[in-house]
Amino acid sequence: MSLGLREILNKHNGILSGTSACPGCPENMAMRMLGMGLGKDTVLVVVAGCSSVIQGNAPYNAYNFPTVNVAFAAGPATASGLARAYRQKGKNVTVVVWAGDGGTADIGFASLSGAAERNENILYLCVDNEAYMNSGGQRSGSTPYGAITTTTPEGKKENKKNLPFLMIAHNVPYVATASVGYPHDYVEKLKKAKQIEGFKYIHVLTPDPYGWLFDPSKTVEVAKLAVQTCYWPLFEYQNGKLEISQESLHCLDKRTRRPIRDFLSIQGRFKRMNEKDVQLLESYIDQMWEKLKSML
Amino acid sequence: MIRKIISGNEAVALAVKLARVGVTGIYPITPQTTIIEKLAEMKASGEINTEIVRVESEHSAMAATFGAALAGIRSFTATASQGLLYMHEMIWWVAGSRTPVVMVVGTRAVGAPWNIWNEHTDFTSERDSGWLMAFASNPQEALDLTLQAFRISEDERVFLPMMVGMDGFILSHTKTNVIIPDQEDVDEYLPPRRQPYVIDPEDPVGMGNIFPPEEYMKLRQSIDLSIKNSEDVIRELGMEYNKKLNVLGDYSTLNVTYKLDDADYAVVVMGAWAGDTMEAIDKLRERGVKIGMLRIRYLRPWSEKEIRDALKDKKAVLVLDRSISMGRGGPLYVEIKSTISDIVPSIKGVVSGLGGVSVSKSDLLYLFEKFLQGIREDVLWYYPKEVGKIELRTPRDIE
Repeated sequence: MSLGLREILNKHNGILSGTSACPGCPENMAMRMLGMGLGKDTVLVVVAGCSSVIQGNAPYNAYNFPTVNVAFAAGPATASGLARAYRQKGKNVTVVVWAGDGGTADIGFASLSGAAERNENILYLCVDNEAYMNSGGQRSGSTPYGAITTTTPEGKKENKKNLPFLMIAHNVPYVATASVGYPHDYVEKLKKAKQIEGFKYIHVLTPDPYGWLFDPSKTVEVAKLAVQTCYWPLFEYQNGKLEISQESLHCLDKRTRRPIRDFLSIQGRFKRMNEKDVQLLESYIDQMWEKLKSML
Repeated sequence: MIRKIISGNEAVALAVKLARVGVTGIYPITPQTTIIEKLAEMKASGEINTEIVRVESEHSAMAATFGAALAGIRSFTATASQGLLYMHEMIWWVAGSRTPVVMVVGTRAVGAPWNIWNEHTDFTSERDSGWLMAFASNPQEALDLTLQAFRISEDERVFLPMMVGMDGFILSHTKTNVIIPDQEDVDEYLPPRRQPYVIDPEDPVGMGNIFPPEEYMKLRQSIDLSIKNSEDVIRELGMEYNKKLNVLGDYSTLNVTYKLDDADYAVVVMGAWAGDTMEAIDKLRERGVKIGMLRIRYLRPWSEKEIRDALKDKKAVLVLDRSISMGRGGPLYVEIKSTISDIVPSIKGVVSGLGGVSVSKSDLLYLFEKFLQGIREDVLWYYPKEVGKIELRTPRDIE
């Protein structure tokens, strides 16, 4: 790592005190790190979700960036307009779309795909808490197999939509994954993305204490476990090449992976899963790693 | 200033060029498509320096146009029918953000079933959104109103988006003589862009986050007030347009009258069929019938004062609608009735010309004669003779 934690903390702080976030909120953490990675000269486009609320009531705002709040499906297109206008004005501004998994995998996907295909000079950040947490925890396309949500009380019967793979298929200059459990890795990826011209996509896993049913003090632990059990791979895709990040290298060999049960048992949302369900989820993870290996 | 034979869509594209628009969000939909094609051609040939965002949907077309406007650039888009409805959410978002944006709507029927032809229902269904809404009656007016829309929406007394309607195919695709103003004159008329706030790292602001109920309600009221107050702004800037850009039309008023001063009876219309209406009125005048026309050019703001003044001493008023508010009658009829019911004893409404049904000058003449004889129903669905004979088959009939 090129920067120590103290050093990155001294950079631009993305979030001011006095947010409306829940205790243990991973999106607050992800937003603070966004400032560390991108610094000033950044404009945020926030689509409907927890992050529309965390910033607080107007006229106050806890985000330390100029912020535009937009309707659910409008993020990537609004950012496209902003980025084009700054280009017209000859201004160097990093335009960031900040969206949850519902806004990315479901309602906003057409707009995301369109902006990626046009290779708009924007950075798209998906903060993934794996359900519609702002409206109380309903399933999204990004909810994993077996998870209990308010609209899948029996446990979700379908696999998680693999958005990073979908974005790689769009042939954009940069795709990366991150976890709030590993701030160095995330901040480094943000810094790299800022230097790249064209469409950048970073997908950050943000474990939600209330929707995932774990104690708010354990957000970082769960975020780390997701990576250690290889449920959430950390990688970068740039110039057509895939690279597995340091913290996920052990996942390349199944024998060195930490058991998935360690990730499942720390949360309440997987409690309805039986032996067969765990195997199904595990085979999804195996397949994902086989695919990643094939791209190396 | 040059005179050219062009379509309404070309006239709009030229207005966008003359307004030096910085960003255009484009998505094809009939009958608006040739506007964006023309803009793309002008961009390819280097005639304009506009950024063209070729988006994947109308929802994104409005969002991209909104984003560019927020960053401080003059921005434009155009749409029609299903596209306008698909934008609906963002149309409200732009108005609620008090962002000046200009859009042209080539009006068209709304499905189901599919119908690509003209009516005004797509346009009129946006009248509660907080946009200023003008409607052209010929390609010249489409050009003039589009240019004025930039000036009006960017005026600090307004600071709201504005849309200009234009009858699909009838105006969008028909070529007529249009006078195109010189760039220097337009530059003089259109000052550099002004807007209430700009999203820029140099002056960080957060916009659109949660508003407490009382402040939200105050904001809605401020939009309502701005639309009402824009009436005077439109007249003032219209007179300036008359003077600087020296065109055929008169923009010193919001709405337009024809042979109305001494008339006993009045017909109210909006859009392209005003031309046929005037010819039918001429015919009736030859027979000594004192009838005139009021053409609504601004659906929002709704100039209650102008409309009451124009219709105050009439014995009866007939309102022609090319759209329908289901179960309630034509939107113009409902608006007119609520504006003049205390000063005009008899107000009738006719809904016709939906989905491209052709209403000719002789149809209008027939309608006006019936009106003068006194038709009992308040709202009449009128079908030109041959169309009236068609029986609509219902699923029950088909066995």
